[in-house]
Amino acid sequence: MGDWAARQIRRHCARADAFRYVCPVTQAAHEAGDDQLTAPGRPVAITPGQAALSGLRQPLVGILLLIGLCSAISGKPLDGFLMATVAVLLAWDAARARLRAWPGYAGADSARSQAQRDSTGAPERLGSRWRPARLTVTTAGIAAALVYATVVGDFSRYSWPVTIAVVALGCLMIAIAWQGPVRSRPALTGRPLRRTWLWALVLVTGGGWELSSLLQQPDLTTDSLAHPTISALSDPVLASHPGRTVFLGGWLLLGSLLAGR
Amino acid sequence: MTSRDLTIAGYLTVLATCVVLQVAAVRKPQQIPSLGRVFTHVMRTRTGRVGVLVAWAWLGLHFFAK
Repeated sequence: MGDWAARQIRRHCARADAFRYVCPVTQAAHEAGDDQLTAPGRPVAITPGQAALSGLRQPLVGILLLIGLCSAISGKPLDGFLMATVAVLLAWDAARARLRAWPGYAGADSARSQAQRDSTGAPERLGSRWRPARLTVTTAGIAAALVYATVVGDFSRYSWPVTIAVVALGCLMIAIAWQGPVRSRPALTGRPLRRTWLWALVLVTGGGWELSSLLQQPDLTTDSLAHPTISALSDPVLASHPGRTVFLGGWLLLGSLLAGR
Repeated sequence: MTSRDLTIAGYLTVLATCVVLQVAAVRKPQQIPSLGRVFTHVMRTRTGRVGVLVAWAWLGLHFFAK
């Protein structure tokens, strides 16, 4: 009986130690902004190599690398390079978050507090400082978007000026997204959360329809009259300056809506 | 109806379904999430945020960049 009680006490203490060890790990991983990296109930003791592999295992990293490869071989090397760059950055960030989540990592405490500042500071900082000037910022943003769409829309497609303008803005928006949400919003829960599959179904169907048209072209760079892709259908619109300006305006509006999420 | 018409009808059907879903989401927000709320949900992590913005940037690159 005494041995049994001692075993129970030892087992309880071991569980308590494991709990104390695991909790900071999962908390830090959440704070680092990547829920995928958390593994509740599993103690983490990892090497930099394992951390790098965990970054590469993220689905989005693989998808971006695949898109980059397909873009590169279909005559869009710049697209491919940018997709691959973002994929590498995401993998590196995930690996760093995983490594920092390990309590044995040098500077884990400061990394956790920095992550906490990053995760909680941005909405408050932007909210309190920008709220009084929101109208001015919005007006300036709309004016800048109009100028951008008009000026860039004047350049011919696939030229270096338009390429530089689009790449610069894309990089800027991705950098903003990297910092965290601009403002906090209520989480999706309950029935609406369970019905997100409706949107997934519609968007995947649309993507599949586009892909089937693409695969029925004579080759990847030659449009098909019988099975036009969205790109092929938009070519007549994008051939004119007003068409390009309107399209760029829509692209900017979509980007600003997404960046505000 | 030609193959071209059928292909375009497919795109329009997807677009119309998006509009119907969005209208339904606005009318019954407790039943169906709007597209904006879905994006908010997807973008709650850094990977999601960057992924969505990369897709947006890719659109611009695809239609305009070299």
